[in-house]
Amino acid sequence: MSVAKTSRTLFASGVTRLHPENARIYEGDSGLLYCVVDEKTLYRGVFAVRLFPIRHPENFISLNYTNDEDKDREIGVIENLEEFSEETQALLSRKLAHHYYEQRISRIYRVKLDQDMLFFDAETQRGRESFIVPWRHDRAEEYDEHGKALLDVRDNRYIIPNVFDLPDRDRQELTRYIYW
Amino acid sequence: MPVLTDEVANSDKFRIEENIHAEELPEGLTGALTVMEMNDAPIVFSIRSDLNLEGVGCTSWMIVTEKEAGAVQVNADGSLEKISGPFSLSDAQKVRTFPTVGSSFLQLRIHGLYFDVIRYSNAKRETFGRALQQFERVLDGKAFQSDAISRPSDLVCDKCGLPLPGRGVMCARCNRDHGILFRALEMMRPYFGLLVVLLGMMLAGVGLDLVPPLLTRMLVDKVLVPHQNVTWLPYILIGLMAASALRNVLSVFIGRLSSSISTRITRELREKLQQKLVSLSVDYYNRHSVGSLMSRVLWDVDYFQGFVSQVSQGFLLNLMLVIGIGFALFSMNWKLALLVIVPLPFVAIGTIYFWKYIHPIYYRVSDSQSKMSQLLSGLLSGIRLVKSFGQEEREHQRFEKSAGYMRDNRNLLDRSIATFNPIMSFLFGLGGLIIWYEGGHLVLTDQMSLGTLMAFFAYVGMFYGPVSALSSFSNWMTGFLSAGQRIFDVLDANVSVSESPEAVPLARIEGSIEFRDVVFGYDPYVPILKGVTFSIKPGQFVGIVGKSGSGKTTLVNLICRFYDAQQGEVLIDGINIKNLKQEDLHRDVALVLQDPFLFSATIAENIAYGRPESNMMQIMDAAKAANAHNFISKRASAYDTRLGEQGSGLSGGERQRVSIARALLCDPRILILDEATSSVDTESEQEIQKALSVLCKGRTTIAIAHRLSTLKNADWIYVVDEGRIAESGTHDDLMAQEGIYHRLVRIQTELTRLETEG
Ligand SMILES: Nc1ncnc2c1ncn2[C@@H]1O[C@H](COP(=O)(O)OP(=O)(O)O)[C@@H](O)[C@H]1O
Ligand SMILES: [Mg+2]
Repeated sequence: MSVAKTSRTLFASGVTRLHPENARIYEGDSGLLYCVVDEKTLYRGVFAVRLFPIRHPENFISLNYTNDEDKDREIGVIENLEEFSEETQALLSRKLAHHYYEQRISRIYRVKLDQDMLFFDAETQRGRESFIVPWRHDRAEEYDEHGKALLDVRDNRYIIPNVFDLPDRDRQELTRYIYW
Repeated sequence: MPVLTDEVANSDKFRIEENIHAEELPEGLTGALTVMEMNDAPIVFSIRSDLNLEGVGCTSWMIVTEKEAGAVQVNADGSLEKISGPFSLSDAQKVRTFPTVGSSFLQLRIHGLYFDVIRYSNAKRETFGRALQQFERVLDGKAFQSDAISRPSDLVCDKCGLPLPGRGVMCARCNRDHGILFRALEMMRPYFGLLVVLLGMMLAGVGLDLVPPLLTRMLVDKVLVPHQNVTWLPYILIGLMAASALRNVLSVFIGRLSSSISTRITRELREKLQQKLVSLSVDYYNRHSVGSLMSRVLWDVDYFQGFVSQVSQGFLLNLMLVIGIGFALFSMNWKLALLVIVPLPFVAIGTIYFWKYIHPIYYRVSDSQSKMSQLLSGLLSGIRLVKSFGQEEREHQRFEKSAGYMRDNRNLLDRSIATFNPIMSFLFGLGGLIIWYEGGHLVLTDQMSLGTLMAFFAYVGMFYGPVSALSSFSNWMTGFLSAGQRIFDVLDANVSVSESPEAVPLARIEGSIEFRDVVFGYDPYVPILKGVTFSIKPGQFVGIVGKSGSGKTTLVNLICRFYDAQQGEVLIDGINIKNLKQEDLHRDVALVLQDPFLFSATIAENIAYGRPESNMMQIMDAAKAANAHNFISKRASAYDTRLGEQGSGLSGGERQRVSIARALLCDPRILILDEATSSVDTESEQEIQKALSVLCKGRTTIAIAHRLSTLKNADWIYVVDEGRIAESGTHDDLMAQEGIYHRLVRIQTELTRLETEG
């Protein structure tokens, strides 16, 4: 079995590639996202998901819809968003924003440990806020090479994109408890 | 500046009754219906969210009337602005929550398309989970249940309002200390006599510790310096020797006694924990990781091992020493003694510094150790995978990275300690210098004898150790209290599936099973079984089919009473399962799972697990019936073959057959096969089927199978779909109905054809 042959069969049964030649994406009725594939099939109520949200947030975007049987199905994957018109890009970015809700931490003023909970006082893009994170490994996961994704008691996500971008003092405050 | 702890913890954000309002609009929303262009209709409920559809934080509300639904946002100036809707409920086919990363949408399906009604952050998930249930009821034309508001949140401590680290986890704050120390002491009660002896010996030990400096003082002042009483010399030396010998003998006894008390206590505690752990329900294990429970039994209990020695030697002994030595110092010369106290702040600061900055590095080291051992055990158990993909080099690099991490941390620790210790001893040395200076002055001016000064120094040398030990005792105590907390947490856990006091013993279960409108969800807000009703007569062979995830295993879990239904009843022999003795139930119901678990023991022991008293012939009969006898007898050690962890050493199908034999040996009245034959090849499956068809006679059998051909002979087949019984009947009935079952069979015949052709 040659390598070339495998990859060709893989390609045939793999994900559907979407690009401007075979896909038209626009905003349809009542703000829903529509997508026409090969000028044949119309999908309505489309939603977009990033497939590499950390390493390639702007590319590899999966478009999905809910079929008549109420199952979510993938229409295809946009490999490179820049191939599409500015307008489509803006539309998709707006729709993608719907799918992600996380706070990015830029400063950590104080971390206090009380009863196995870490009380954070930090700066995010929303402003200064406080939140509580259980002091457990699974609540501060790896994010990219040097970042951390904190999950607070309510499963809200707080991202530190890169721990080493924090001011020294803030980093010490953090790593005193989140040392892993 | 945002205030930490209490304010974050107690804010109303988390209180359900603040967030869902039934019947009337909450304050400030009076004009909402107009803004939302909704028709006047009685309000069913409204629910508060914390986001608008764009994901901007704000207060927003979804309002559901008897006719329509929609959402508004409350602007900073108090004005209202429409977010979505109005959606007519008569057009709505379905309501769902659509989770995305960090937030979710509540959506209505209208003409086949989902429309966003409102968006909420993860903080609101529990509240919206309840709202969804109510919304579904509204769409079904049922009434709103006030229970949705009044039932307390599962995620907040009832007492202090602090969010819990997980569903069903005890609030650490409200259970803080909470007599943990007291309970720990309580556990020592049976050893009270021994403890008194222990304390007595320690007291004597402290007394003996104080003797040598006094003898030295006598030696110097009465013999060496004045050159008198030379005959005293040997006696004083004998005295010194006797004190030291006695002291060490005492140490031996103290050590032995305290270790014997603590090992007894820890053994008791481990046994209690183990007993409790097996009695806890399956649900408890869903909420707690096996790893964390293991660490409680194995490591947290170790704190109790240290408890006796820490409290007696670490705390009481040091306290007695500090008091005894302090007394001796002050009685010799109180002014000089005051100087001894000068370095105490340094001792305290040093200890605090150590625990604040150096102790966390210990954590890092142990963390890197455990990461490395994880990596290694993963590597070794997956070694075939690594080799088959030729990834040795990459694994090597990964290991090197992890080893590097460990080296760095170890290095950091060693360097910190190597710096810390000399600084501390230098500081103590400085303290000593002050005493030399002052004491030397006193001796030179004849205000103090040389012997006294030497005795003084000997005591000072013995003084700082206990002081520093005492300051670190509080840290040990913190660790102990949290370990104790985790242990008592398990010991106090509710057995959530408990036997009713009126439970009736049943000598023999006949085997009829009935479900009456059963509603159940692992998460109470997300029902998996949505009103299941059926009945099975004794001795019937019943098949259950359905797509994966449809709730088949969940059904079985309820029959075995691993969980209790939230609504409705499960009856066996006409008796509510809650009123049956667990013992009887588990004696007469046997379960064979898709992924069979075997213990690391011999094959025979595994088969006889439920009936350890069985004789060899019975074990073989069971194995034969499960079509396992042949492959077992071909092995060198046959039935004595010892299996590795989780039954390694057998193929998937072989493990499966051993587990079937195990169930058959119990001669259960109700036999449940949950996809039990799916990893067995078709041929052995047929053989097992043959055996089963004989064995199933006279007992109720429930077979869940995705190879539908195996169910052709079933007396009755239930088709489960999305938590409901969608179809039922015999194979022929169901084929005639041309419904879900028909379609599944058609797909499978297609597949089989492909398989045989390919
Ligand atoms: N322990 C659990 N905790 C939470 N959800 C579970 C648990 N076990 C199963 N589920 C969920 O319940 C649903 C039904 O599962 P199950 O009864 O195992 O399906 P089946 O056996 O039909 O494949 C699935 O959606 C599954 O994700
Ligand atoms: Mg299953």
